[in-house]
Amino acid sequence: MTLLKWQANFRIGIAEVDHEHQGLIDLINSLHSALGQERSGERVEAFLGEIFADISAHFALEEKVMRDRRYDALAEHKADHERLLDELRDLMDAQADGAVLDDQRFAAQLASWFAGHFQTHDARFHRHLAR
Amino acid sequence: MGALKNGLRAIFLRLEALLEAAFGARLNPLTQLGTLGWFLFWIVTVSGIYVYIFFDTGVTQAWESLDRLSHEHWYLGGLMRSLHRYASDALVIVIFVHALREFAMDRMRGNRWFPWVTGIPLLWFLYACGITGYWLVWDQLAQYVAVATTEWLDAIGIFAEPIARNFLDSERLSGRFFTLVIYMHIALPLLMLLFMWIHIQRHAHARVNPPRELAIGTLVALVALSFAWPAMSQAPADLDRAPFSLGLDWFYLAVYPLLERMDGRMLWLLLVGGSVLLSLLPWLPPLKKAPAARVDLENCNGCRRCFADCPFGAITMMKRTDGLAFEQEARVDPDLCMSCGICVGACPTATPFRRVGHLSAGIELPDRSMAGLREEVIAASAGISGDARVIVFGCNHDADSARLADASTAVIRLPCVAMLPPSFIDLVLMRRHAEGVLLSGCAGNDCYERLGDQWTEQRIANERDPNLRARVPRERVAVAWNNPIRQGALREALTQFRAHLGGLAAGAGPALQPAPGPAAWRARLRTLPVPARYTGQGLVYALVVGLVGFFATQPAYTYLADDRALLKLSFSHAGQPLKPCRRYTHEELTSTRFSERSATSCERGRWPVYVELDLDGQPLYRATHEPAGLWNDGPSSVYARFEVPAGRHRLDARLRDDGSDGGFTFTASRTVELQPGQNFVVEFRAADGGFRFGLPAQDAAGRETP
Repeated sequence: MTLLKWQANFRIGIAEVDHEHQGLIDLINSLHSALGQERSGERVEAFLGEIFADISAHFALEEKVMRDRRYDALAEHKADHERLLDELRDLMDAQADGAVLDDQRFAAQLASWFAGHFQTHDARFHRHLAR
Repeated sequence: MGALKNGLRAIFLRLEALLEAAFGARLNPLTQLGTLGWFLFWIVTVSGIYVYIFFDTGVTQAWESLDRLSHEHWYLGGLMRSLHRYASDALVIVIFVHALREFAMDRMRGNRWFPWVTGIPLLWFLYACGITGYWLVWDQLAQYVAVATTEWLDAIGIFAEPIARNFLDSERLSGRFFTLVIYMHIALPLLMLLFMWIHIQRHAHARVNPPRELAIGTLVALVALSFAWPAMSQAPADLDRAPFSLGLDWFYLAVYPLLERMDGRMLWLLLVGGSVLLSLLPWLPPLKKAPAARVDLENCNGCRRCFADCPFGAITMMKRTDGLAFEQEARVDPDLCMSCGICVGACPTATPFRRVGHLSAGIELPDRSMAGLREEVIAASAGISGDARVIVFGCNHDADSARLADASTAVIRLPCVAMLPPSFIDLVLMRRHAEGVLLSGCAGNDCYERLGDQWTEQRIANERDPNLRARVPRERVAVAWNNPIRQGALREALTQFRAHLGGLAAGAGPALQPAPGPAAWRARLRTLPVPARYTGQGLVYALVVGLVGFFATQPAYTYLADDRALLKLSFSHAGQPLKPCRRYTHEELTSTRFSERSATSCERGRWPVYVELDLDGQPLYRATHEPAGLWNDGPSSVYARFEVPAGRHRLDARLRDDGSDGGFTFTASRTVELQPGQNFVVEFRAADGGFRFGLPAQDAAGRETP
């Protein structure tokens, strides 16, 4: 099952950011399929930990790009990044405390976050770049 | 070297503790020496420009213009003049203590050699500035400085004719040399500016300006000194008299009295040799350094956080080399890297939550991996028990945090506390590996790795990426900055922190309430009451400006005893040609091309000049002076200075310039009356008939009383 699908309108026009967006979706999908059906706590933890690290790194890069281009809505955009990372950490902690990871819900959560983020924040940055 | 360093460090740490009690860590002058130096430089520059407006650059008017400034314009002109002097003197103190402290704290070895070595030319420029400055006043001290400096320069032996002859007597004084000195006094500070810029090139986020309170305090103290004890000229210069006693500025001119006791060349050798030795200090002995940080491209997307946080500018962002779509990658210059690990603490991929394969951050210290640190944290957690377990992350330069380890306290030491990625604190607290995290670093505002304390505090306060996630309760994170001698303070901080953690547990509700307060928890350590602190600060300022004011002119230097006079023998005279010129014969002339003909044939080369001077029948001086010039065809120059008792003396001078075996080309004798403090010059001018004793009037008088 593919957790997330790349969509053309995710593209914001900066090669390295698009590359990472796409990479992130691929990574989440491949990690997820590698996770398979064998859901030992440790494997799920590792899956989430890797996603967390990669998203952290990606946000660091995206924020750098925004700073370089003097993006005026950086603060709000960054707040949204922080919110996702906090949610992810909550999920990781819950999972570590014994909660069972619900794929469907996790996928839906990530997908809705990505879609929402891309459509509002990244699109706004896209418009900023076009100016 | 090690023992010296440790001894000095012990002194500095105690002094700093004393000053910290009065000033607090942020304003501690001993941790602000570089910035204070910069501030003083600008006081000197601004006051110097002001004084220059009113300064008459002519050698005869200079003294008068400054004297007028000090007396008629004392409230501003005099103040500026005094500030110019006293800030320059304070600069000497600040610079030397700065250098001594960097040495004592061992912050100049290994890859930190650069600021040390580039600081040494700055010392030379500073001294040249000070010396030329005293020259410009053209008072007795200036006269002494002019004569002693030119004699000292002549000792190097690179000038065809002694430049000290510019200041032989009042007859010869010209503004030419004086103008050169003015140019130098303006050009040298510009060079200093350039070198100060170079000096801090390898420091990212170099601290340049002192905290405002400290700057204001310094300025006020210097202004107070300037009004209490205005800088004044000494008596105007008179080249026909030598000064008996001088108010020497010991900050700038301390080596000058040595010139009376030591050969000038020896002193040059000592100073140049000393400077070379100083610049070798960073390698005595070489620093055994941990391997430099390494970038793992697979985990680097060029986000630039390590680049932003490296205190030593060791990281550059380069064009991507592995073909991925990223624009940049980080690259570490091992010749600049101090292996402090601050870059690792900044890397977003350095999280302990990664478990797939081998945990590797985008940038890592080869002998302190993040995977290893994660294992250490887990093991540390397993080794402690109790209901207020604390994991201390310490650094190698803190107040020996290793001693804190006990049944409920685990200690993990890192090269610098800022090497710890904030996500590790997240792991410890949110995964309940401990109830509290104590970050123990070296002195606040004086981090050994320069910026570790600053970055750590900013990461906790959500002011700098990577920040500690807002969900991590700040009341369970403590910071404690203590230099190595403050072990008691560190222990006290831990004790208070544990009590505080106990209180959190006892308080109603879940212990781990998210509370995104920006600041970390701090121990309430004893501090002096405010009046005592201000009194302490006042005392420190008073002590420093007291030292500055005193040694700017005291103790007086006795240049010449009351009953002595100076006798100088100096002239420049070309010896006879080795062979006399001869006229070309007619045959020779006709065989020479018309355009190349000349009347006489002269071989190059002259005889050396041999000169004798007797005082009251006793030999005073005997020397042979070789001709100057590559072809030995220049004049021979003589410059000799003698201190003689004042009173009536008979002088006999003899000179031979034709290489003959016996006999003299010129002889002369006079009886002269030397006044105490007189500067009497014996000269020789072949064109005027030979030796001349003193100024023309004195010479004529001497002739009449054989």
